[in-house]
Amino acid sequence: MEILAELTEIFREVFDDDSIELTRQTTANDIDAWDSLSHMNMVMAVELRFKVRFALGELPALRNVGDLADLVAKKLARK
Amino acid sequence: MENLIVDNQYNIGFLCTGRQCQLGRGDRVAMRWLSPSLERRDYSFAELDRLTSRFANVLQGLGVSAQDVFFTYLPKMPEQFVAFLGALKVQAIAGTLFSNFGDDALLDRLGDSCAKGIITKKSSLKKLARIRDRLPHLRFIILVDVEEHLSADTLSYSRLMAEGSELFTVPATPPETPSVLHYTSGSTGKPKGVLHAHRSVALQSLTTQNVLGVTRDDIFWCTADQGWVTGTSYGIIGPWCLGITQVHFGGGYDPGTWFGILQEQGVTVWYTAPTALRMLMRETDDFYAGFDLGRLRHICSVGEPLNPEAIQWARRALGKEVYDTWFQTETGAIMIANRPGLEVRPGSMGVPVSGIGVAILAEDGSPLPDGAAGNLCLREGWPSMFSTYLNNNAAYASRFRNGFYYTGDTAYRDPDGYYWFCGRNDDIINTSGHLISPFEIESSLLEVAEVAEAGVIGVPDELAYEKIVAFVSLHRQASYDPQLELKIRLYVSNRLSTVATPAEIICIDAIPKNKSGKIMRRVLKARYLGLDAGDLSTVEE
Repeated sequence: MEILAELTEIFREVFDDDSIELTRQTTANDIDAWDSLSHMNMVMAVELRFKVRFALGELPALRNVGDLADLVAKKLARK
Repeated sequence: MENLIVDNQYNIGFLCTGRQCQLGRGDRVAMRWLSPSLERRDYSFAELDRLTSRFANVLQGLGVSAQDVFFTYLPKMPEQFVAFLGALKVQAIAGTLFSNFGDDALLDRLGDSCAKGIITKKSSLKKLARIRDRLPHLRFIILVDVEEHLSADTLSYSRLMAEGSELFTVPATPPETPSVLHYTSGSTGKPKGVLHAHRSVALQSLTTQNVLGVTRDDIFWCTADQGWVTGTSYGIIGPWCLGITQVHFGGGYDPGTWFGILQEQGVTVWYTAPTALRMLMRETDDFYAGFDLGRLRHICSVGEPLNPEAIQWARRALGKEVYDTWFQTETGAIMIANRPGLEVRPGSMGVPVSGIGVAILAEDGSPLPDGAAGNLCLREGWPSMFSTYLNNNAAYASRFRNGFYYTGDTAYRDPDGYYWFCGRNDDIINTSGHLISPFEIESSLLEVAEVAEAGVIGVPDELAYEKIVAFVSLHRQASYDPQLELKIRLYVSNRLSTVATPAEIICIDAIPKNKSGKIMRRVLKARYLGLDAGDLSTVEE
């Protein structure tokens, strides 16, 4: 499954919203339930699903879902 | 209060809109709306009046009448304000719900209040669908982001508004008429519905002027969500009934964006929360040097005690004074405050608002001397005092003794009349200004199949004032791992709310309880903080 498609599944579960359709341009402003607290849930869910770990400084630099997908892909490639 | 109230017409919906037009302020900007992507749209008082009248007609057409309960369940957006004021115009009771509430939190509030209608976004339909069969009084859902009605009772806001007339005669509304409803957590039992009356406008407007120091020439920005009493008392009512321009921003916390707004919109008075200020303190002073805050006169703060470091930081990095204010959902308006013109004592709550009787009382009701900590109490009868806890008069009565309202806070007064907060005298957790019941979180945790017992506490936190720590013990066949932690976190987030999600979850063998089965949270707290748990003779092994 493509990373974006997997992220879509994760986001729907984490934010409890089946209508979420992620694109690379999606940001927190586009998802009603995405706040700083649910963000932590999302990060944990992504780490568990892809079996990767994010370093402390990696996440604040992400501008949108596309950046998150790229970061996941980079970590998977290193495995 | 100028000549706001005429012919005993206290209707807040009218005073914030139509009355402003009568006073010649129809063309003034009431709301400068900034979308999450910072697109700007100004709403004049005349436009706000027309929109809220349209919405009042919509509600009337849907069968809503005086004292019916109607909720907004929206993030910060223009429709939030239109719906809230429109509901008040028809004398409905206007409740506000945080948009991050989950279905259990919704069920408690919509069920207890027998709410007749709700306005929300399509993304929240899933949560409402899961509980709708348990809400027999809920007749309709209005969605702000669909063009057409989805069914006979799931309706399109834009379609309804297009059909609604903008002519609406607001009924005569005496001061005691029920108005705003906010639910607040108790240390035991379900959340309680704090009901206010239209008379609250008198003190909300007075404190907007005399405490927050806002004048009609100001541009005021209150960052509080409308789910909070601050968001309605000072993000809607206080400023608009005085004809003051407010900035409202639909996006989340971001230092650059927030300071860009302060600068670009020429905000003159800013009302925010200690957690936000503490987050801003993480930026370097150089960051703030890049913004021109010349128009910003001062900052006010509410929600949790403001630590002296935040005040010192604002003086140094921003060159601004921060005035901490104190009130509760039940008080409806600011009761104790630091304010312009008074010496700020960093860390103190400030002094009582003019006309508010404050006392520090012992358990037996006797007054305590200066310097002695005791129950922080208010002499009953202030203009914005809540009317009751909805459907719970006994709980309401229990808050009053010998003419005083017991706030549940412990504080002391210094010889100069400044009050100093010491803590809560119950188990309620204050995290980032949200008062959260440990009981509600424990109940939610127990709904996770693997969890056998749960105990929840609040512990000091540098950023959020307190953070939520959950102790769980599991059923024998279950094991604790990151997958289960995620499951628990998502359950609490989506059923209760994201703010109720524990910052830490600790798995232990058994939750300490006394012989009657009550969770001994003080033991959990001592254990977490590495302190002596004190008398353990009542712990049931």
